[in-house]
Amino acid sequence: MINKESMNYSLRNLNKNKGRSLLTIFSILVGITTIFIFISFGYGLYDYTNELTSGSSADKVLIIPKTAGGFGAPDEIILNEDDVDEIKKSTDVLDATGLYYDAVLVKQNSDQKYTFIIGYDPKKDFVMESFNIGADEGRMLKSGDMGKVVLGHNYKIKNKIFDKAYELNDNIELNGIDLKVVGFMEEIGNPQDDSQLYISDSQFEELFTDVNSYGQIIAKVDISELEKVIKSIEHNLRKSRDLEEGKEDFYVQSYDDLIESFTGALNIIVIFIIFIALISVIVSTINTANTMITSVLERYKEIGVLKAMGAKNNNIFEIFLFESSLLGTIAGVFGVIFGWAISYTFGVILDNMGWGFLSPHFSIYLFGGLILFSGITGAISGVFPAIQAAKTNPVDALRTE
Amino acid sequence: MEKREEGKVIIELKNVCKYYRMGDNIVKAVDNVSLMIKRGDFVAIMGPSGSGKSTMMNLIGSLDVPTRGKIFLDQHDISTLTESELAQIRGKKIGFIFQSFNLINNLTAKENVMIPMLFQNNLKDEKNFRATKLMELVGLKDRMHHTPNELSGGQQQRVAIARSLANSPEVILADEPTGNLDTKTGASVMEFLENLNKKGKTIIMVTHDPDLAKDHADIIFWLKDGKVEKITGKKDGWSKLGKERLKELKENK
Repeated sequence: MINKESMNYSLRNLNKNKGRSLLTIFSILVGITTIFIFISFGYGLYDYTNELTSGSSADKVLIIPKTAGGFGAPDEIILNEDDVDEIKKSTDVLDATGLYYDAVLVKQNSDQKYTFIIGYDPKKDFVMESFNIGADEGRMLKSGDMGKVVLGHNYKIKNKIFDKAYELNDNIELNGIDLKVVGFMEEIGNPQDDSQLYISDSQFEELFTDVNSYGQIIAKVDISELEKVIKSIEHNLRKSRDLEEGKEDFYVQSYDDLIESFTGALNIIVIFIIFIALISVIVSTINTANTMITSVLERYKEIGVLKAMGAKNNNIFEIFLFESSLLGTIAGVFGVIFGWAISYTFGVILDNMGWGFLSPHFSIYLFGGLILFSGITGAISGVFPAIQAAKTNPVDALRTE
Repeated sequence: MEKREEGKVIIELKNVCKYYRMGDNIVKAVDNVSLMIKRGDFVAIMGPSGSGKSTMMNLIGSLDVPTRGKIFLDQHDISTLTESELAQIRGKKIGFIFQSFNLINNLTAKENVMIPMLFQNNLKDEKNFRATKLMELVGLKDRMHHTPNELSGGQQQRVAIARSLANSPEVILADEPTGNLDTKTGASVMEFLENLNKKGKTIIMVTHDPDLAKDHADIIFWLKDGKVEKITGKKDGWSKLGKERLKELKENK
């Protein structure tokens, strides 16, 4: 019997107890807003990882030394050209190349900063393929490029890394040596990657004369039997490095593995946070039920009057269930609006800070689903009070003053 | 005088008992009462507090079912109905008027009048129109968008009368309708009920005020300790209708 008049009746009741209704709505809204924010960012991150896996990095395998971290440690594990040759000999490996990594001092006038620099063989296209990026201005490095450097995206932006932005053909001072800027990378979306520098391997060897190990080796492989490829690389490297199985000083990882473990961690975080938000929703459900019970008690006599006027038990049940669902739905609508506003603002702020990959994803299902969820939550809160109201004995109710 | 020719029994109580358990005692609120009310009657149920008149009102108003005995409302035996069936039948057949008006303060006067219509399925679009008509009938058309708080006691009781008429019930059941009103306002409310009676509505008034009963009702049932103690007529002697009913009641016994 939910019709125009009974909806009007419910709205008047909620409106009469404005303060209480608003507090109840607010308590539901907090949970819904939180869930909205985390799901939208969670989705954004899933999108990002999907983009990575669907990109050109899928057929690459990384061989990384098991160092505790840091450069130039005395017990540093060395990966050199011999290892690259061993990897090339492994089953289904199409090609392999070593990448140098180090920190370099970049100087602009009196300002100086340490940043990461990568040295690689420009002949090996699959290096940049594995990074899934290219130049968005100028050009990438060419084989034998000496005195040339490609800069990360953030160097193009004034006041980001240095006060002055770099342009093509500018000189940039690295460890006291001037190199010429020939290109800029596309934006990756996080400040560390976007301030990286890229030079050729031969330039790297000239800049860091004492370099003796690659930071990592990238292998381009046939992915039809990835497990077998990884096993084969591990086997060959163990043999040449004279190591027992299980005591390797290196990791062999496919990009898929990396992304899988990232997604796995992401899942746990997202589920954990949503679980906490759900607890807040449960608390607000109890709060809504409490509001409704108070409302039923306050309207005890009114319920008696309605029953005298011919209201059946289920009419009364529907009135109260409708009111609590309405509270939930209103909270849902405002919850997603606030959630959207907050996520959107955070997304813009993070993007401006260079964390472009942390961007929320808004789907119509998220909006609709959460409003529905909130409405259902409200309805569930109302079931018990509504039953209580429906069971009111009209004779007793009318007798009260 | 069309109504009297019809003379259809609208309410009949046959050996009705309503007992309550209070601790170890059984309270006989209504004890073996039989009575009959015909369409168009103006009946008063009189008695001091504790005489069982509230229980009688609840039983006649089908808000409650008897412990024993049978109650017929427009030929339907309501003593065996479920709660929902009771609600349905009282919504259609009985209009309530209460001592304390019992209007819903969140709603306007007109919306209050519409309430009984909300629980009937056969009224779709005419609710608004009918409520306006009823507000006009009780002379409060210009106040119909006011809430009860903005109306005087007499006006509130007139809204309650309009509400009691919402589903064109057979019976108006008035519980101390003037109890919360001053003498003058009370008189105007009673005038309204008399007018409704003249138009053919059956009025059953429950009161503890003998003068009010004697002034308006054709026949008065005096309750004491849950039983009908005596039956009397109007202040200035029996009305023609009152005599008829008394005769019928005696014949039935």
